[in-house]
Amino acid sequence: MKSKILKNQGNTHLRLFIAAVTVLFLLRLITGRPDSLLLQILQVILIIFISLFLLLMLINYQNRQTSVPLSLVMNLGILNAVAFLVITFADVITSSLLDNVNQMISSPGLVYGVVSILYILIFIGYYTYVLIVLRHLFFLNQIKNASIYFNTMVMFFIMAALSSQFFVSESLSFIENTFLIVSVLLMIFNSVRISWIAFLSKKEKVYLLILSVVISILFAVNLGNTSGDGIHGQVLDSFSSSINSFITTVMLYGVIYFFVLFFTTLFHLPTAEAYDRKAQEVSSLQYFSKLITEVLDFNDLAETVTDITIKVSHSNAAWILWRDNDQFTTLANKNIGYVDSEKLNKIILNNIAFDKINSTRTISLTAEHDKESQSAPFELLSVSPIRSQGAVKGLLVAAKIEGMLFAKDDLSAVETFSDYASVAIENAQLLEESIEKERLEKELDVAREIQKKILPDKEPAYENLQISSVFIPAFEVGGDYYDFFELEDQKLGFVIADVSGKGISAAFVMAEVKGIFESLSKTTERPKDILIRANEILKNTLDSKTFVSAAFGIIDLQNENLCIARAGHCPVLLLREKETIQIKPSGIGLGLIESEHFTENMEEFMIELKNDDTIILYTDGITEAKNDKLEDFGESYFKDILLDSGDCTAHDLSNKIIKEVTIFSQNYSQYDDITLVIFKFESRQSAKAGQERKKISAQGGSAMAEN
Amino acid sequence: MAEFNTSVLNKGDISVINLKGYLDAHTAPKLENNFTQLIDQKRFNIVVNFEELAYISSAGLGVFMAYIEKIRENNGDIKLSNMSDKVYNIFDLLGFPLLYEIYRTEDEAVKKFVGE
Repeated sequence: MKSKILKNQGNTHLRLFIAAVTVLFLLRLITGRPDSLLLQILQVILIIFISLFLLLMLINYQNRQTSVPLSLVMNLGILNAVAFLVITFADVITSSLLDNVNQMISSPGLVYGVVSILYILIFIGYYTYVLIVLRHLFFLNQIKNASIYFNTMVMFFIMAALSSQFFVSESLSFIENTFLIVSVLLMIFNSVRISWIAFLSKKEKVYLLILSVVISILFAVNLGNTSGDGIHGQVLDSFSSSINSFITTVMLYGVIYFFVLFFTTLFHLPTAEAYDRKAQEVSSLQYFSKLITEVLDFNDLAETVTDITIKVSHSNAAWILWRDNDQFTTLANKNIGYVDSEKLNKIILNNIAFDKINSTRTISLTAEHDKESQSAPFELLSVSPIRSQGAVKGLLVAAKIEGMLFAKDDLSAVETFSDYASVAIENAQLLEESIEKERLEKELDVAREIQKKILPDKEPAYENLQISSVFIPAFEVGGDYYDFFELEDQKLGFVIADVSGKGISAAFVMAEVKGIFESLSKTTERPKDILIRANEILKNTLDSKTFVSAAFGIIDLQNENLCIARAGHCPVLLLREKETIQIKPSGIGLGLIESEHFTENMEEFMIELKNDDTIILYTDGITEAKNDKLEDFGESYFKDILLDSGDCTAHDLSNKIIKEVTIFSQNYSQYDDITLVIFKFESRQSAKAGQERKKISAQGGSAMAEN
Repeated sequence: MAEFNTSVLNKGDISVINLKGYLDAHTAPKLENNFTQLIDQKRFNIVVNFEELAYISSAGLGVFMAYIEKIRENNGDIKLSNMSDKVYNIFDLLGFPLLYEIYRTEDEAVKKFVGE
């Protein structure tokens, strides 16, 4: 929409421009050389309009282009060369072709009309473009809006030109002179505004220097040519003498501008290189600080670091000496072979204590053998630490060849740069860690979910057996597992197990172990045989460093006995009449050794159950629970609590134990799963006896009295 | 969790790994590295000194199982020494004394190798 409006505007300008040109052309054909003042004024007005429309069109065009100052200057050069040729040829051609130019001018034909119109258009185009370019350069890199100076100057140009045409008498020439003098002063004033050259590179400055001297001379030559009595002056005068003087003024401005430009550029040359370096440094740092937030890959980052190091320190080579698990390696080597850099690494490590370096150091490779041992003749190294999380992780090395020195600027650049690199590398590592942490947490969520599904959600109910089970998972799933199997003939099978390792892998093994015991408990009768079979299966399926400690037992409620086999698990405790009995038949952990050897070492323990016998199964999460002094909860403390508990239900006892463990380890995080399973047996006979006792007491004291 | 460190000392044909600190699922890879390197160097006679080991978890025990087969295939062995009572109990519970030779001192373990 906007561009359409702009285009329409451009079209209007073009139409008006063509109209003005046509009117001028017709006027020319009809009147020839205008003598009356009215016609002169009319022509001047027409020329001003033409210039104005052309100016507007050119400005439109210019604004759409993204123009480089140097190419604009180059355009001016070309334009001046063209003007020079036109002026010269106009003189040569017309004087040879036409005998009497003056006659032609005073009584023009169609051909002359066309030629003269074209000629004046060329020069209107010329000064318009010159003014536009100079105006553009004038505004480049200006902080304040100084358009008033430029516009005033152009106004004075016009005034001077007009007064030269209309105030011709001697007495009034001071008007023209005043305007001219003010114009020249403004030209000089405006020519000093050329700060844009400061932002050119050295190469561009040299180029500009040559251009400006050439253009300055071209302007001067054209100026000389136009002010002569040649055909050029005559043709322009035939339209209006003010246009000629306007062109002369613009050319003078061009001479002055490029003269000033030449000297300023010349004085800028010696500092050009330093300026270039600073500019490069700034842009590198900008680039890098942007990079810090973007680059996530450590290797990419290292490549960029060495790349930019070479630029900012003007070195011949750069690399990173990185420590990875106590091994030193070369990373991202630039302009130096891997072998060479490894050799230099040795020299660096001999000269510098890796962990203690805290600022940039230089090492000069003076010893002859140092230089001989490498293919490139590096003589000087600068070494800066790259730190992450407080420790030196690597060294940023920059190398210079023979005869080159590190300037103070170079060193401070490298130092700044290694700091940037440190931050970037720390970021990259933190990111990696947090991704890893998140992955781990997700994994643990899955593991906890699996574990929750594997463990029984409620205890089986028996008339004469209290059962209580508690499971407290650790943050990292510890691999604890327990289960109950309700068998025929009032038998209850139970298992407690602990898978080695943690996390999701432990959870998967748990799932496998559950499957094994589920099926074995249905087909195999004796705990010992169940564990032997379980070992056979697990030895084949588990990897060599994973194993499972387990205890499998069967409580026979009919025959009132307990049969237990143990495979590397914590002992089973039996609390009977104020005494704890440790049940610890020998047996090796599941999945550790071949069946034959396992069977040899497997025992089974059988005990008659008595009334109020309490059987306690636990995992090492209880006995190895730690307090803030890193002391274990321990077996003996565990037994003390059991003995202390007196006569209470299985549920109360388990609450008491968990409470004690919690109090003991309150200042230390739970590291392993805690599992506690308690059975309390009530003998049938004694239950009957108990009931009878109750009856007796309910009947009152008569029976007692009998006794 | 607390730190864990190992150091490896070569005494002739025998390599002694000294353990220090807490050996669990997180620190086990360090000890695994030691075993892998020794096996790469074809050093199969290994004594592990538990003198300064404060704690070992089931995952720590697993490390020994991971390499014992390969080492015994090459006529070598892992012998254990200088265990505190606490650490020995953990080994004992799992039946490790049936699988490994455990000695009171490092010298005894080393001598056993030389004797063979």
